[in-house]
Amino acid sequence: MRYALRSLRRARRRSLYTFLAAFYPALILVVMFGFVAGELRGMFESATKLETGHLQIRGGEELPGGALPIFSLPEGVLEELGRRGDLKLLTLRLDLPALASAGSRSLGVVVQGVEPKRVSEISPIPGLISEGRYLAGPGEAVVGEELAELLDLRVGDTLVLLSAHPEAGMGAGAVRVVGIFRAPQAEMGRTVVQVPLETARRLVRRENAITSVVAFVRGVEGPWDAWRISRTAKELKEFLPEGLAVKGFQELAPEVAVYMRIARPVLAAFSGIFFVLGGLVVLNSFYLSFLERTRELGVIRALGASRRWLMGAVMGEALFLAGSGAALGALLGAGVVALVEHLGGLRMPGAYSEFLRAFGLEPILHLRVTPWEVLGSALAMIAVAALSAWYPARRAARLDPVEAMRHVT
Amino acid sequence: MSPETVLRAEKLVKVYRSDSVETPALRGVDLEISRGEFTAVAGPSGSGKSTLLHLLGGLDRPTSGEVFLEGRALSSLSSEELARLRLERIGFVFQSYNLIPVLTVLENVAFVLELRGVPKKERERRAREILSELGIEKYADQFPHRLSGGEQQRVAVARAVVGAPAIVLADEPTANLDGENSRALIDLMRRLNDSRETTFLFATHDSRLLDRAKRLLILEDGRITADRAGEGPWDSVQVTQGA
Repeated sequence: MRYALRSLRRARRRSLYTFLAAFYPALILVVMFGFVAGELRGMFESATKLETGHLQIRGGEELPGGALPIFSLPEGVLEELGRRGDLKLLTLRLDLPALASAGSRSLGVVVQGVEPKRVSEISPIPGLISEGRYLAGPGEAVVGEELAELLDLRVGDTLVLLSAHPEAGMGAGAVRVVGIFRAPQAEMGRTVVQVPLETARRLVRRENAITSVVAFVRGVEGPWDAWRISRTAKELKEFLPEGLAVKGFQELAPEVAVYMRIARPVLAAFSGIFFVLGGLVVLNSFYLSFLERTRELGVIRALGASRRWLMGAVMGEALFLAGSGAALGALLGAGVVALVEHLGGLRMPGAYSEFLRAFGLEPILHLRVTPWEVLGSALAMIAVAALSAWYPARRAARLDPVEAMRHVT
Repeated sequence: MSPETVLRAEKLVKVYRSDSVETPALRGVDLEISRGEFTAVAGPSGSGKSTLLHLLGGLDRPTSGEVFLEGRALSSLSSEELARLRLERIGFVFQSYNLIPVLTVLENVAFVLELRGVPKKERERRAREILSELGIEKYADQFPHRLSGGEQQRVAVARAVVGAPAIVLADEPTANLDGENSRALIDLMRRLNDSRETTFLFATHDSRLLDRAKRLLILEDGRITADRAGEGPWDSVQVTQGA
């Protein structure tokens, strides 16, 4: 090992390049992991808190036209669900397709009957009110800025809702607009009217009517914890009465789930380019080193070193350089991620900011990286370096001592 | 083969082939080296001295014939077994010193012991001992490039004998030294031969150094043409003609 380490000092610049060839890919990969995880978490939180929850209990599959079946939970089920340790929050919702009219203008909307107190605990909408306030009692409504503009609504105006559900038929009612919110997504701002649950129930003339129980699973911080959601969903399916459906987040927001599925492979492929480049630098460096030291390695072989020793010497150099480079790169990457997060996240520039908004994300990206990703990035780079150094190491191990000692650099 | 025989060669032939051109380097060499010998192989350039030493040291394989080291036929050994045999039983001194530049003098001398797996303390003790015996202990912590050619070659001799090998093979060890340093190096090898009974076989084309040998082999055109035992000085005319 002493020979391997001392050998690194004889061509210091080349050793530095080799070090950097392992350092940069590991650094870049960890930082990119941070970005992607930040994006994924933002999308996950946006989708789950705004719309879907981690999972939903429904009365069955969607009806023709996209409406959800209306159902009532059997007595005691909600209490039973509330006692489960793996569910941290449950809220009831009644979603109805409806026509919203104000003055002479009408638009097709989705009336969301919600439990305002519960919604306030998780949904960003109460915090996005730009005018007025959030729901406090029956007969009230909040609408998005886009819908308010299209229907020329102001806080205090009356909005007439005409619901049309395949199972409940038509229903009508008037609500007073108490707040206007800035929706993270334009479509949501144009189509969603939130009202208290009991107001929505009056439209379908059914007590206890809901279209879903929206649930949040304890211990889920991001899409990487999706397995917890799947586990709970599976348990609920066995626990709930027949006929009820349990939908996980992946089914409820398939477009986000697809993006989450492809983000990491795309990142891995992209990182692969850096790793291949790093590997080529390592290969080049150690092959040059091998050529320069052919005579010396021949002497060592002549003195009686085994092939294993020679291979170990060259691989030892490579692993030391790549190991220290990759470890430092990955740690620095983790440090960058931690620093950015410590400073409150990364404010994204214009076009990217719009992209984030399209997914309902705030334009500030919160980076996140796990110890496994840091360790994995470093180990992946070390593996690439080991593969790259293998050929020169093998050449060194198979040197013919007489030929090698004749070698002139 | 007597129990004192360290090295024996039987009908050694080596032919180099390149692009269907065959160049014979050794044409049937028979040789026996006994323990404690201090033997010089003399001959002009291209006579086959280096080839002979390479074959005797298990660095190369003969086209035909056999080499026995302490009774073991080298042809039966794999390249890894040969490497182990070189490590355990043969010391080498090369023409161009061939010290490892990134190791200190002490580490260079202890290197073969390190390859053998000798613990650090023990190998350093033995390396210091031989450096002291050769009067170069003061260079122990220096790197080879700071030493003169003569000093480097003395370190190479120390490396060759530190593991108490059965034989030390020295291929033109004085080729890069001036006359004074050459004589000093051969004297030093002879001193080790006397004090430690280390067996030496060295190749040279410098007839002025042959007087210190106890046995002289003349190699010409791939054949041993003279084998004279005893103390020098040798018949300089015969040696010069031979060499």
